[in-house]
Amino acid sequence: MRGASAVVGVGESAYYRWGEAPDTEFQLACAAIRRAVADAGLELTDVDGLVSYMEPRNDPLRLSAALDTGPLAFTAQTFGGGGNGAGAAVTLADAAVTAGYAGCVVVFRALAQGQFGRFGVGRSETRVGGNAAFTAPYGLKTPAHVTALQTAAYMHDHGVGQDSLAEVALASYAHAQRNPRAVAYGEPLTREMYHASRWIAEPFHLYDCCRETDGAAAIVVVAADRARDCPHVPVSIVAGAHGLERRGGVAAFCDPDFPTAHYGHVAEQLWTRAGVSPRDVGVAQFYENFTGPVLMAIAEMGFCEPDGLDEFVGGGNLQWPHGGLPLNTSGGNLAEAYVHGMGNVVEAVRQNRGESTCQVEDVELSLLVSGPGYAPGSAVLFGRM
Amino acid sequence: MREIVEAGGLPLLTPVNEAWFTSGEVAIQCCASCTTLQHPPEEVCHACGGTEFEIRVLRPRGTVVSHTVVHHAPSPALAAFVPYTIVLVSLDDAPHIRVVGNIDGPVSIGMRVAAHWEEFPTDEGPTIRLIQWHRMA
Ligand SMILES: [Zn+2]
Repeated sequence: MRGASAVVGVGESAYYRWGEAPDTEFQLACAAIRRAVADAGLELTDVDGLVSYMEPRNDPLRLSAALDTGPLAFTAQTFGGGGNGAGAAVTLADAAVTAGYAGCVVVFRALAQGQFGRFGVGRSETRVGGNAAFTAPYGLKTPAHVTALQTAAYMHDHGVGQDSLAEVALASYAHAQRNPRAVAYGEPLTREMYHASRWIAEPFHLYDCCRETDGAAAIVVVAADRARDCPHVPVSIVAGAHGLERRGGVAAFCDPDFPTAHYGHVAEQLWTRAGVSPRDVGVAQFYENFTGPVLMAIAEMGFCEPDGLDEFVGGGNLQWPHGGLPLNTSGGNLAEAYVHGMGNVVEAVRQNRGESTCQVEDVELSLLVSGPGYAPGSAVLFGRM
Repeated sequence: MREIVEAGGLPLLTPVNEAWFTSGEVAIQCCASCTTLQHPPEEVCHACGGTEFEIRVLRPRGTVVSHTVVHHAPSPALAAFVPYTIVLVSLDDAPHIRVVGNIDGPVSIGMRVAAHWEEFPTDEGPTIRLIQWHRMA
């Protein structure tokens, strides 16, 4: 299965601060998909599969009609959480194309927080059901609070310092200064600004937190043999993985491995399937709704030991062009835009195409890690054909 | 801390979670078949698949395993009450069970804490008694 499918097109809408998009979420979705298909040199009638994650609003029935796609052969959406589903959605497209269930699958995510509500604002509820009943009454209302509890425990257990959180933010903002699409383009961040910024939920400062965005992004996946006819350098889906560790699904912080980013089992599958190790990765996109889970996932993916995180990420190691592991080279969810991690997917592909605004030289393998901190996690390794 | 709960929202009761949210004790679900202590309570025992449960009352004490001070109000209703502190507590009698709550005053990981309960009468059902934490004397 290794490398049997490839990404041949990428597309985005323009990215806006939440509430500032002139278009609706559905219009943004259509725009991103049209661009990705055009980028692939294909027609909308070639599209026979649609895959997304978390949010069923822009469903394949409405989209296929509005875009006048070909007859659909495959539709799917992953379970659980949010941005952690991006890589899983790519693996679904890979599985569909590789197994022959579809010939041309679009993976997309559209998110207009202005239209449908900000992720950073918890719902005002008088009664709370389900797992949230154990947390929301205490004012534990948003992902910032969930990941703050994970991160604080992890930092304590493994001696990780606040400056390591800063390193993740500094890398994203540095990279965004070269990316005109980035919402934070022209807004550089210094370490002093990071430490002086207000607390959101300790240990997260303002700059540890992702943007709230209106935008959409999409990619086009076809079989590897068909990819050679497309106009851009095709990018192979070398391997994908998603899932969670045993009993990682126990709710309300009672999972046995707490604090974890839920990436141990994903890493094991990914490296085994691809037959490579973290040392072989040239550049990485780690979804960052908040900086803390990125650090946890860097360790769980095998780039360093948990106790060695300060040393691994320190000294600008995550920053292009001199760092050993350039991270979130478009600016990511902190500084480019928060399209729920779909922007990370597009950037991972661009690095393999040689089109990033922080282009790493001679990228053989480009890693995507989606949504650490929430299970099931997912990851994809992109590579040269 | 009552005002945080009132702004955050009270739990919706179900047959499975009612003991935890109304008893005013550390009322943990205990499998009638295999005696596994399980939290949050579930409809099925994770250890044996059993669906009959009893309640085991544990001592109201534990150790802080994580905490966060929330400075940015996550909803308009909570804006008047920031900053507030959320703690995660591992129970002495069942360290694998971690319980969320609020706490007043300085807090650190490893700190010893004891539980108390806040009462919230409801119109339609039993009084809700929510576990909260304070530094152990
Ligand atoms: Zn049992």
